[in-house]
Amino acid sequence: MDLDAIVIGGGHTGIEASLALSRLGFETLLITQNPDVIGKMSCNPAIGGLAKGNLVREIDALGGEMAKLIDATMIQFRILNKSKGPAVQAYRAQADKTAYSLLAKWTLEREKNLHVFQDTVVDLTTDSSGRRIQGVLTERGRIFKARTVVLTTGTFMESRIFIGEYSGPSGRLGEPAAIGLGKSLRRMGFDVGRLKTGTPARALRSSLIFERMTEQPGDDEMLPFSFSDSKVNRPNVPCYITYTTAETHRIIEENIDKSPLYGGKIVGVGPRYCPSIEDKVVRFPERQRHQIFVEPEGLSTEEVYLNGISSSLPEDVQEKFLKTVPGFEKIEIVRPGYAVEYDYLNPTQLYPSLETKRIKGLFVAGQTNGTSGYEEAAAQGLMAGINAGMFLQKKPPLILSRADAYIGVLIDDLVTLGTEEPYRLFTSRAEYRLALRHDTADLRLLEKGYTAGLKGDEEKQRLQEKIQNLDEIREILKKRKVHESDTAHLSALKHHPGKSFEQALRDPLIKMKDLTALDDELAKRRTKYLKYVELDIKYEGYIKRQKEQVKRFERMEKKRIPEDFNYALAAGLSAEAREKLTKIRPLSVGQASRIQGVRPADVAVLLVLLKKGV
Amino acid sequence: MIEYLYTVEEPIAALSTPWGESAIAVIRTSGGNTLTLINRIFKPFMRRTGDAEPGNKVSPGKIRVSAKSKGSTLHYGKIIDSDSGEILDDVMLALYRAPASYTGEDSAEIFCHGSLAVITRILALLYKCGFRPAQAGEFTLRAFLNGKMDLTRAEAVNELIRSRSDKARALALNRLSGTIERKITEIKLRLVNFLSSVEVRLDYPDEDIEGEVVSEKECSSVENELKQLISSYETGRLFQEGVTAVLAGRTNAGKSTLFNLLLKEERSIVSRYHGTTRDYIEGNIVVAGIPVRVFDTAGLRKGGGPVEMEGVRRSNRVIKGADFILYLVDASFGLTEEDTDFIKSYSGSYGGKGKIIKVWNKIDLKSTGGVKAPDGFLPLSAETGTGLDKLVKRIEQTILHGTPVRPGEPVIDSIRQKELLDRTLDALRRFKRGLKRNDPLDAISVELQEAVHLLGEITGEVTSQDILNNIFSNFCVGK
Ligand SMILES: Cc1cc2nc3c(=O)[nH]c(=O)nc-3n(C[C@H](O)[C@H](O)[C@H](O)COP(=O)(O)OP(=O)(O)OC[C@H]3O[C@@H](n4cnc5c(N)ncnc54)[C@H](O)[C@@H]3O)c2cc1C
Ligand SMILES: Nc1nc2c(ncn2[C@@H]2O[C@H](COP(=O)(O)OP(=O)(O)OP(=O)(O)O)[C@@H](O)[C@H]2O)c(=O)[nH]1
Ligand SMILES: [Mg+2]
Repeated sequence: MDLDAIVIGGGHTGIEASLALSRLGFETLLITQNPDVIGKMSCNPAIGGLAKGNLVREIDALGGEMAKLIDATMIQFRILNKSKGPAVQAYRAQADKTAYSLLAKWTLEREKNLHVFQDTVVDLTTDSSGRRIQGVLTERGRIFKARTVVLTTGTFMESRIFIGEYSGPSGRLGEPAAIGLGKSLRRMGFDVGRLKTGTPARALRSSLIFERMTEQPGDDEMLPFSFSDSKVNRPNVPCYITYTTAETHRIIEENIDKSPLYGGKIVGVGPRYCPSIEDKVVRFPERQRHQIFVEPEGLSTEEVYLNGISSSLPEDVQEKFLKTVPGFEKIEIVRPGYAVEYDYLNPTQLYPSLETKRIKGLFVAGQTNGTSGYEEAAAQGLMAGINAGMFLQKKPPLILSRADAYIGVLIDDLVTLGTEEPYRLFTSRAEYRLALRHDTADLRLLEKGYTAGLKGDEEKQRLQEKIQNLDEIREILKKRKVHESDTAHLSALKHHPGKSFEQALRDPLIKMKDLTALDDELAKRRTKYLKYVELDIKYEGYIKRQKEQVKRFERMEKKRIPEDFNYALAAGLSAEAREKLTKIRPLSVGQASRIQGVRPADVAVLLVLLKKGV
Repeated sequence: MIEYLYTVEEPIAALSTPWGESAIAVIRTSGGNTLTLINRIFKPFMRRTGDAEPGNKVSPGKIRVSAKSKGSTLHYGKIIDSDSGEILDDVMLALYRAPASYTGEDSAEIFCHGSLAVITRILALLYKCGFRPAQAGEFTLRAFLNGKMDLTRAEAVNELIRSRSDKARALALNRLSGTIERKITEIKLRLVNFLSSVEVRLDYPDEDIEGEVVSEKECSSVENELKQLISSYETGRLFQEGVTAVLAGRTNAGKSTLFNLLLKEERSIVSRYHGTTRDYIEGNIVVAGIPVRVFDTAGLRKGGGPVEMEGVRRSNRVIKGADFILYLVDASFGLTEEDTDFIKSYSGSYGGKGKIIKVWNKIDLKSTGGVKAPDGFLPLSAETGTGLDKLVKRIEQTILHGTPVRPGEPVIDSIRQKELLDRTLDALRRFKRGLKRNDPLDAISVELQEAVHLLGEITGEVTSQDILNNIFSNFCVGK
């Protein structure tokens, strides 16, 4: 078999990377330890959430798969933050874990040019210069050659899991670690570090007393993440909420020295954002209780996931403290919570294309770059896949800016700042959040997906229709004036006689749905488009200000720095800036200015030197 | 963040001649739509026939400045604030078209009268109509970026910019007191806390976070701090630029004697003859840490010779420009009608700022013994120094009168800082309004971010990383 590309690892990252490459027409081999667990959700049975939901829709707009997978397998859907505002509203869905994973596997298997193969990669091969990737070596001694390789090892590279005193070489409980590759990468000179993360116990649904918890139902209306799915028709299963108690906290404190984390066994750094329950109890002693969500793992299983209470305490302690939670008195644990520690590559070793600076043609994505979360993984997988494809075609990479997409924020943060703890995306990491609404993802990115070759004419057509629809609605609102008769139906309109509907809509008391009831032309329009225009109009002032901020930002982004710029010759730079710039090799002055240790004065020097072409 | 500092497309403006009274001052503007902006405030004089002198290259006045104006031309006209219709000054305007200018961009130079009042108002007008204050060295920086200077000189500017951000920046911020930077950092911290409170609610919708996002009281308290800091600019300017005081009075009242006493040196000629001082003389003293430029002038008297009359005219001019005057009366001569007329007209329509300290001089003379100083007059002997302490105290009060800042409070002293603080206050007010209107948090957070960003420009940088760090150290957030 003559290969163009190899993808290592069949997690959420590897799925997107291998699909993108094969869909761009390249013979692609996906090597993964166990094809049965392709697309397995290691932790939470859910996709989306704040910022993450936006990522999923951005992935879809660019031509990725995640949105379609979850649309077909969701068992609950909610729009988060409905009351809080346009930019932080986000889709979140509970997934049928098994169905999701099976569909992912089946999607890969059916893809032309894509070949799935079971094995474990233990080493990379390069050409004689050592600077260009040539292929991989597997555990069973097979050698595969390709011009580009995408590395997506997730939590498996040289990994160990921990439960109290127990520890063993696994990437997920019951699955062996991938041993060998971490050592090879270190030998090649990569900066490889250790991170850790954890997961809570899974319990048997029938052992829980739901009457003692609060039901959290999904939204009545289920909406698709994908811009090309028009509706979702799936079962709607509720979650439940309960809380830890003073007794829970007492038991945890009493046993804290048995935690591998506090006992000093784990050296990897854990995420502050989804801390284990041990962490929460120790770090926030003033909190009386912590929230726990009980989430279904799927339709074909009785297992439920206990969100908010991840732990690596000994199993008997886990059972003991869980039993102090209302509703958990008779809990039957199917799988204990555990922590996992694994190798990651410091992502400052990558260009924004996700290609390593050290070895040409080698791309790294997903948890291997220090992130955590399925959506962060998939987003990087897609970008690495697209850019490996661009590399094969000798085209410039597709790089999204911080003002283009959350994907841009994610990757820029990684390659510019690096990370020393598992990185998770937040809306607050994005400076230009109002410009990154989930319902604008297609407007922002579809064209780019089309140019890259992952989106077809049909989708482009659909985008055109959307744009036309939005324009028409805007036009109607501008033209339609508030009549005397309208005020009879909607008294709030009394304050806007003779004004246009557009102006009236700026009044916080007036909603689009009030206006559509008054106008047949509007009533004919689709709710999602009406909603879109409503947000645009209501927050116009803020959106405008944000646009100005974006403009300010883009000026610096547009100032390119050549990859081979010689910082050693740049006389005016401070020593620290010189060192950092040499290491990160930013592609724009904007990126340079975000590097820690690079001061405004250094940026000025850089601007001067760039202009002079030193 | 630094992008504000180094964007090269934005129109900038700054005074290019030293800060201070002078015959003329040059205000330089450059970049972006400079010419269009200038058009809004510059109105050429209509030309009357006969004005043009042979060889004078001044271009005919009726041509308005526009994006199409020719470069390397000089125009005569007035600066008008089109909002109020007020004429600020008659000026000469030099236009340059890219690349034939110092910066290599379209630019304009305004040659105006060198009074601090005029300069300040023209600059304020420029900032209002779309220019932003130029950073130190920014014109030169642009000159390099546009290839107007060679490498050796580029190196020199590297040094300049570097020193600006290290020592000079610290110096600028600490000119009056180190408290100013601390104060702004403190305000910024409070805004970052607001922001954290907003962000944590946005990023953790499932967490039950108690309490108000930001209370109106807290918001107003920060607003007040900002307002106070902004109003301290007046005081700051006072300390930096100082004030002008003029000694006035009839001939032989003892103005020159007092002038010498204040300066502690024999600078002005004193004689017993009327009309000794012919032209004004200037000296510098410091009162309560504030520089005061003192002018001794020719005594006001009708019917002197032509030279003396010219002296009186000049006296009147400096009197008009004064922040306050010291009006001396010879006690042995008594208060005349001329004196009372002058005092009345000065505090009324004379054209000065109306602040006047009235001095009853020569109280040491036997002939004045027993005669009490009239109401509102300070008794003094410029000869012996009796009453000087009280006079200095009064000068101090006059200078500080109406300045809002208490001693020891931080004050700002650069128009750049003031302008950034003004914009911060605007953003904070928009945030407060949005909060009150129940606008969504993610929308109004744009305003807070803007505010933090602006303060960051004064003190250094804020990144979204800082904001996140703040969330995690202050709140319990969970999976
Ligand atoms: C215990 C645990 C807790 C977690 N907790 C959280 C959390 O709290 N919040 C959160 O957002 N995310 C959490 N996650 C992370 C989430 O599962 C990952 O972010 C996501 O799955 C990463 O996707 P990935 O494709 O990069 O890696 P993975 O999903 O880990 O997939 C990697 C795949 O590559 C295969 N592979 C690895 N190395 C090789 C090799 N050398 N050769 C062949 N195949 C290889 C593996 O077998 C695996 O199938 C947790 C994961 C675990 C295991
Ligand atoms: N005894 C006494 N003589 C004074 C005092 N002040 C000024 N003189 C005298 O008054 C005369 C005039 O003083 P000048 O200081 O020259 O007066 P002037 O106001 O500057 O006068 P012109 O310059 O002519 O306008 C001089 O002989 C001074 O010595 C004072 O307080 N006491
Ligand atoms: Mg005199």
